[in-house]
Amino acid sequence: MTRQLLATVTLLGALFFPAGAQGQAPKYEITVLPPGGPAPRLPDGHPDFTGHWFPNGAGQGVSGRFGVDPAATRTFDPKVTPEERPSFQPWAAAKIKAMTPTELELSKSSVNCLPRGVPAIWLQNPYTTMIVHKPGLMAQLYEVLNNWRIIHLDGRPLPKDPEPFFHGNSAARWDGDTLVVDSIGFDDRTYIQPNGWFHSDALHVTERYSRPSMNYLMVQVTVDDPKVLEKPWKSAPHRWTLGNGELYEFYCTNNKELEQLEKLRQQELQGK
Amino acid sequence: MKISDIAFAAAIAGGLLLSAAPLAAHHSFAAEWDSTRCREFTGTLTKIDWQNPHPYFYVDVKDTDGKVETWSFQAYSPVTLRRNGTDRRVFLDNIGKDVWVRGCLSRNHSLNAAAAGTLKFSDGVMRQVGQLQD
Repeated sequence: MTRQLLATVTLLGALFFPAGAQGQAPKYEITVLPPGGPAPRLPDGHPDFTGHWFPNGAGQGVSGRFGVDPAATRTFDPKVTPEERPSFQPWAAAKIKAMTPTELELSKSSVNCLPRGVPAIWLQNPYTTMIVHKPGLMAQLYEVLNNWRIIHLDGRPLPKDPEPFFHGNSAARWDGDTLVVDSIGFDDRTYIQPNGWFHSDALHVTERYSRPSMNYLMVQVTVDDPKVLEKPWKSAPHRWTLGNGELYEFYCTNNKELEQLEKLRQQELQGK
Repeated sequence: MKISDIAFAAAIAGGLLLSAAPLAAHHSFAAEWDSTRCREFTGTLTKIDWQNPHPYFYVDVKDTDGKVETWSFQAYSPVTLRRNGTDRRVFLDNIGKDVWVRGCLSRNHSLNAAAAGTLKFSDGVMRQVGQLQD
């Protein structure tokens, strides 16, 4: 780097970080969205979860952008609300450990274009979700893969013999201002998280939704899977933020990654 | 060196790093791409295939002997690119023009296939179009 360039870089750095030069926090272009005013409510008095929700603290896209406060890139701060590790039964831990890195990658819905399913859609999803909430019904429109899910809020019970669905079979109830959604009956191709965490037919997911303010949607998930886990797992509260803009079309029509990874897997099997 | 390059260097030097964590978390770059085999490419943008889950753009790259080879580059998803300001129109407007790309080669040794990280069109603006790599 030339001396002239170095001087320019230093100057621009000072311009970008006038406070940082004085030992204070740097100034970011994209920061954590403030809470906003009180949450809106439906005519029945319950919080209205309607909105276009971003899986970060900024209420806008943050990937590949300059000047993003790290605090705005995530849905929770593990230093403040650490997320516990799942307690796998020995056989389940061994099964996950036996996967090669390529097999693990191939299992990810982000790679193989299968729906993420519940609860992964709330735990590992960089794309937005639009919620349309009416008395008696909540529609969740997932940007990724153009998936959607309807949660009925009419008090109907869980089915006794559920058909396996990627988003499960759900029943909902209110606990004060928190909507509690219980789900059972999941397609066995979904993963809880993209780290090989598979599930059994005994999976029971509980989602707790709340809107503490206009701009924040909190989602906390409990995973109970007595055939795979030693004890139920509780996620940290994940905070999604209210944004604007389009919910884009996302049909997975040209998945070359799958082909590339299959080729790599075959090479691994042949010991190359 | 253009001002945009200097601003980019200043941003890096000042810790104003690009935000890649949310995507890196759900995809493992290292599973498919080799971060030990990354390099810079210069050439002519010839095509953009704007589809999900990843657009691919194609560049005619001339080697030191003058031989031209077509390389394909995988990018972020269309949604992510739209939201960071590098939409389909930007690619279309630059077809037939010079482009600079830094990318990493595939681990399965597919010929002339790479994942793009950063990119500059002829306007010289540094753009992040894929996961950070090296």
